[in-house]
Parts: sequence; structure tokens; C-alpha cells
Amino acid sequence: MKTATLARLAVAGNRTDVLRTVLTALSALLATVAMLCAATVLSITGWADRYSVTLLVEPGLRPGVAATLILVSLPVLALAGQCIRLGAPARDRRLAAIRLAGATPGEGVLIATAETAVASLLGSVAGLVAYLVARAAIGDQHTLPTDVLPPAPVIAFLVLLVPALAAAIGALLMRRVIVTPLGVVRRVRKRGPRPWPGLLIAVGLAMFASPFQEHLPVHLPHWLPHSKNMTYVLLGGGVLLTMAGVVLGVGWISHTAGQLLRRYGRGPATLLAGQRLITDPWNGSRTMAALLAAVIAGSVALGYRANLATTFRYYDLDNQIMGYPYGRGMSAGAEPSFYFNAIRLVMVAVGLSAAVAAAGLLIALVESIVARRRAYASLTATGVPRRTLSAAILWQTLTPLVPALLLAMAAGDALLRLVPTHYDLGRSYRECLADNDALAHCHTPAALHLPNVLNVPVPWAELSLLGAGALLAVLVAVGVGVLVLRSSTDLEELRVG
Amino acid sequence: MSPLLSGTGLVRNYGATPALRGIDFAVGEGEIVAVTGPSGCGKSTLLHCLSGILRVDAGTVTYRDQDIGLWSEAARSRLRRTEFGVLFQFGQLVPELTAVENVALPLLLAGSGRREARRTALDWLDRLGVAELAEQRPGAISGGQQQRCATARALVTEPRVLFADEPTGALDVLTGEQVLGQIVRVAREQGTAVVLVTHEARVAAYADREVALRDGVVDPTGLGLGVAG
Amino acid sequence: MSTAHVLLGLLAGGPRHGYDLKRAHDDRLPRAKPLAYGQVYATLGRLERDGLVSEAGQDREGGPDRTSYEITDDGRQHLDTWLSAVEPPAPYVTSELFSKVVVALLAADAGRARDYLVAQRAAHVSRMRELTTAKSEPEASVGDVIAADYAIGHLEADLRWLQTTLTRVADLQKEVTS
Repeated sequence: MKTATLARLAVAGNRTDVLRTVLTALSALLATVAMLCAATVLSITGWADRYSVTLLVEPGLRPGVAATLILVSLPVLALAGQCIRLGAPARDRRLAAIRLAGATPGEGVLIATAETAVASLLGSVAGLVAYLVARAAIGDQHTLPTDVLPPAPVIAFLVLLVPALAAAIGALLMRRVIVTPLGVVRRVRKRGPRPWPGLLIAVGLAMFASPFQEHLPVHLPHWLPHSKNMTYVLLGGGVLLTMAGVVLGVGWISHTAGQLLRRYGRGPATLLAGQRLITDPWNGSRTMAALLAAVIAGSVALGYRANLATTFRYYDLDNQIMGYPYGRGMSAGAEPSFYFNAIRLVMVAVGLSAAVAAAGLLIALVESIVARRRAYASLTATGVPRRTLSAAILWQTLTPLVPALLLAMAAGDALLRLVPTHYDLGRSYRECLADNDALAHCHTPAALHLPNVLNVPVPWAELSLLGAGALLAVLVAVGVGVLVLRSSTDLEELRVG
Repeated sequence: MSPLLSGTGLVRNYGATPALRGIDFAVGEGEIVAVTGPSGCGKSTLLHCLSGILRVDAGTVTYRDQDIGLWSEAARSRLRRTEFGVLFQFGQLVPELTAVENVALPLLLAGSGRREARRTALDWLDRLGVAELAEQRPGAISGGQQQRCATARALVTEPRVLFADEPTGALDVLTGEQVLGQIVRVAREQGTAVVLVTHEARVAAYADREVALRDGVVDPTGLGLGVAG
Repeated sequence: MSTAHVLLGLLAGGPRHGYDLKRAHDDRLPRAKPLAYGQVYATLGRLERDGLVSEAGQDREGGPDRTSYEITDDGRQHLDTWLSAVEPPAPYVTSELFSKVVVALLAADAGRARDYLVAQRAAHVSRMRELTTAKSEPEASVGDVIAADYAIGHLEADLRWLQTTLTRVADLQKEVTS
């Protein structure tokens, strides 16, 4: 097949296909901008005093900022790849007709992913343009690194990476869809997803715990190097594996939730919801996964903030016990406000990711409603009340979501529980006595009206807020979806050819 | 001389349901054969198996002395844009492409250039009397006109065998007659063999001979006499 | 009495001779049994007696009597009435096919019945094929086509009835023997 033919077949489409192309391009644009910003941050060399944002000044902190930016771009990329399922029924019929006319299976997948790739490429180029324009517009300031440009090969690589990734994700999502000349068949799993991701979570937690072995029975094997880099690898790897485990375990959670609904639910709404979950446990799970990853990151950040706050207080109290005057003794590397600003940045990123994930959920929901609109319309025409259908959608979305959210928050909490959670002030006093420092003037904790042990509190309030926020975002998405259902069950839909 | 396309001992099941239970079939060069029978007897399945769209569970489908059951899905797909033409009752025109693009599709997939494919497609649309609809989309033209475009598409590659599955099923008597007449006329002109699936006797009357099926086997009486079930 | 009505219809266009009427009848209805002259004159005689046609004139141009007939006002009225009346769906079927099939299914032995039915179907199918080929020919006139359509339609109906009857009888036998 000639390239011109491929191009023509890839862009052939109706309104929904145009919408899909626009959304894919938009997601690619955002992802590219985020990645270019990350590359810019990484391109700053040395101690960059000229910026007022401390996060950008220190060379050790910049990788963290870049990593956050890249992490934000991941849900957006997932959104771009997920867009390939928008308007899928019409597109699948089109592919079936093209297969009937003589296209091979490989050519069919090529046509489908070509559309995603082309749309993403347009988006990433537009992202590059937006980035350059914004750079010029912001001008020469001292807060944002507008004077630094990543090297050209890196820019080119990023602009090409985004469409490549989007197409790869799209191709992956198409692997279960078999387009035969007689129509589209989705390969149905005989058994549901297995709970092996639980194992991933356990391994991830173990990896995260191993640097803190003095508190736990987990010990690093002797042959592994005990270096600072190793610690970072274990910490980072542990978090990632835990996140991966929660994300991948969502399929099993949905499937099991479906089985429970079907067995114990009464009424048509739960029956509908349960069966949908069983037949296609991964349907809403992809966007839910992004949401869960954001929630885990948020839990870890909140826990870390509580830890930091306690640590700073510990430093202060320890200094008091030691009798050091202000300005001496233990302290952190910089002003506390610096650390808290960094955490605030992470929380903003988490909020953005959650919003993007909720948007993805909305898109998936709308798409599945619109695809079934004729079925819904005829159900309504035969007398099924709309509220039953709305209830089915609510059940279908929330039943796996609530346990999954709880699991995500628990995983995040477990991660932060593994870090030292209490500080022994009594020990500080004993150390003070043992030190025999001339400048020290040791006090007992009791004399200062302090407890013997300083516990790191679990930030229940903030965690609940995080969970509730995620739940609220999903409810908003479902609410909008139900509104779409209302318009999709109009009897006009029965007449649409 | 061996037949152009033949099937021996064809068996095909859908899960636990048998659709074909051992069918022998043959069609020669330029011959028009009607496959008749009540609904559910396996006629469409036979057509899909003979044209390589479906794989048989047992038996062989031989085209030009080659067993196409051994071919890959890709190779069998390629047959549909060179030597086989397919014409179904519905659902084969791509709604988002214009009529001429639809007709040119098999040629384009086979690697022809756009201009050349377009010229051939327009020529065929003209032969079937719907040249003025070239730039319209299928949604904007009537059922009979759609079927004529679909017929043009099935014949545009000048296939050796045309597989037609109830091509006039959704059309009224006169329109159906026009479409059938054109199919038969072109087939005779080009020497194309036709496998025509239908449940209507008046449509089967356009063929040179008839193979009646019932419950997945060939029924020589045509009336279900002496066939179990 | 449809022959009489056909003749009346032919006369509605203008006066004609007897042999003209026969020729016109055969042309317009090519696949029907050709009309005999005797029948034409007998029918004309009846129509004249009933006052639906009248003699229009006589020619003696080198040949036997060529009386031309024309339709009367009464005749036109009669024709109108006939054309506006609906044909009742046949309550009494007199077709040869029907009698044969009934006898074959309910009286004859299974082997002979089966042979007859298979042969009958094959004959119907073969005739339908001939008719279809004839009407698809480029030289076929409109008369040919609509006559072929009529025959094909009836043959198809016969086949369908045959098939349904077989199924009914099979069900009945199953009911009886179960």
C-alpha cells in the first residue's frame, strides 16, 4: 500500500474521529511541553544563582524537578494513547470494511495507529511551537529558565518520542481487538485477571524498606553495594514497583468487584454493572490506574511532609535538650520553607495528574455510552427507567474504584511507615550526657515539658482530603457522563442510520 | 480439467454449533452457481470459507490447485484484492469514503497509484450506471445505488471468482433485478465465475446451476427430503 | 369470463375486426393460451347479445366478411365495473399441481411421492431459469418481461407453497406417530 493511500485511509473519518484526533493532538502537545520543560531544567549547568526559585539553583535538586515534570507528562501520554478507543465502534466497522476489501491484518493495525501517530506528531510539533513562543513571551526573567535551551538533538528526540510512545500505547490497546472482514471481535478472556500484581506490591514495599533495615526485619543481601546511589535505586524502585502493582492490580479488583456485584447485588442496575465489569475489567481501569498512581504519589508526599515537619521539630527540640544556642547544632541543609515549597510543587503535580486522569475517565465513560447509544435508547423505549441505567454506570465505576483508592492510600501509607516514624528524645539526652561537650548544657525532656518519644503523626486529615478529592473528581466525571446518557437515550437515537 | 475453485469435506463450527458438516462444492471457470437453502443452513458460512475469509475446521478449499486453507491470513486477504471479489448484503462500503474511493479501495490496497485506481474506478461506476454518484458518500445514496457501487467494487479488480451473499436481499424487486442483471451481464462478459448465495428461488434462477444446502450438508432434492434434522 | 373482458378492453381503444382482436389478444398476452377464432366470434356474439358491443360496419375488401365491432356505452360501463372490482383470493383452487401434491403427500407411498415432488421442483426451477434468461435478453419486449414476471412469480409461489406444505405434513406425521 502506498503512503498516500495509508494517509487517506488514516484520516478518513466522521465527527467523532475528528474529535479523537484533536484530543490526541492536545494530549501530545501537553506531554511535549512538560517534557521540554524537564529537558530545560536538566540543561541548566552548575550553581545557577541567577534564578530566584531555589529548586532550580541547586544542581542536586534539579533532577527531582525534572522527574516530577516527566511524571506529570505520563498520565497525559496515557490519555493520548487511550484516545485511540474513542469512537471505536465506527472506526472498527470501517477497518472491517477495509479488511474485506483486501487489507491484511497488519495493514489494518497500521491504519489505526497511523492516525494516532499523525495526530500525536501534529500535537508534539505544536507543543514545540507553544514552548518556543512561551519562552519568547516570558522573556528574560529570573524565575524561569528562559535563557537555557536544551540541545537540538534532545528537542528533536522529544518531539519524535511523544508520537512514537502514543502510537505504541495505541497499538498495545488494539492488541485485543481482532478486526476480521466480517466485523470486529474482541478476544474474550476465559478467566479473569489474576491477583499476581499483589506480589509486585509486596516486592516493592520490601525494596523500599531495605535501606531502613535497622527498624525492620528486612536486610539487604551482603553482596549488594551499600552506597548512596544504591539507596536511591532501592527507594525509587520500591515506589515504582508498588505503584505498578496497584495499577496492574486494578484489573483484578474490577473483575472481582464485578463478580461480587453479580452474586450479591439485587436489581437490574447491579446486574448490568457486574456483568460489564466481568466482561471488560480493563475498560475504565486504565484511567483509574493513572488516578491511583497520582494518589499514591500524593500519599507519599503528604507522609513525607509530616515526616519533615517532625524532623525539623526534632532538630529544634534536640538542640534545646543539648542546650545549644540558636544557630548551632543539628539542622537541615536549608530553610524549612524550601522543603515545604518543593512538596507543595509535588502536590500541585499530583493534583494536575488527578485532574487529567479524571478527564480521561470522563472520556472513556462518554465513549462507552455513546457507543452503546442505540442499545440504551431501545432499553429506554421499552420502559427501563433512566435511573436504572445511570445507577448501573455509577455501580460500574465506583465499585472497583473505592477499594482501589483505599488500596492506593494504604500502599502510600505503607511506604511512609517504612521510614523512621519516631524520634527518641530520651536518647538525645543520654547522648548529650555521653558527649561531654563543653558548650552543651544537657536538659532532660521532662524538664522542658516534652514527651520522651516524638512520633511522626499519620496525616489522616490530609490523606482523607486526598482520597475524597480523587473520589470527587471521579464523581464529577460520572455526573457529566450521566448527563450524556440522558441525551443518548433520546428516542431519536433509534432512527440514526 | 479441474474446477477453478472447489471445496471437499468442508467442516466449520462456531464454538459448539456446527455450521458446515462435510460439504463438497465446485465451480468452474465462468460458471454461475447458486447456493440456496433456508436460513441457518450454512450458505453464508460456505461462502466465507470458500473465499478464504474464514478458515475451515476440516476439509480443503482448493483454488487453482492450491490449498488456500494453508495460507496465512495476510495471503488470503490479498486474494480479495486481486482474484476474488466479494459482494455482501450490507456493510461493505466504508461510510467515510466517497463512492469512487470505495470502488478504488482494492486497487489502492494492492499498491496502485491514486490516479490510475481512480480512473479504473470511475470506468466501472460508469459501466454500472452510477457514474454521477462518484463523489457522494454511501450515506447519501439509496440502497440500490449503494449495491451497484458495491458491485463495482467487487468487480473492479476483474476477479476470477465473485462471491455474492444475498446481494439483493435488502432491495425491492425491480432494483434487485437491475443489480442482478448487471452482475450476470458483467460476469458473462469477463468470464468471471460467480458463487451466489440466496434463499430466494427467483434470484437462484439467474444461475446456471444450483446447490441446495440444509443444516450444513448438501441436499440434492432441494426440499429437505431425506435429510436428517 | 375474463376473455370477454379482455375483448372489451381491446375494443375500448376503437372499433376492430374479429381477426384483429385475436391478433391483439395474442400479442398482449403472449404466454397465455392463444385464442381460437371460434372462441373470439362466440364471445363477440355473447357480448352483442348482452348489448355490450355492436357491429360497426362491414368491409368486403377481397375476402370473407370482416365485421368490425365497437364497444357500446353499456359495454364501457361493464368494463369499468369489472376493472374496479377486486379479485377474491381464490377460495377454490383448481390447479393440477395442487391435486397432484395433495395426492402425493397423503395417499401415495413415500418413495413415489418423493420422486414426484423432487421431479416437480426440478421442473419448476428449470422453467424459472428459462424464463429469467428470456427476460434478461436485450431484445426482450416489455410484454415479454411482464409476462415472464407473472409466470416467475407464480412458479415461485408454487415452490414456496410446496415447501411449506412439506413441512406441515412432516409436522403432522410426527404429531400422529409420536
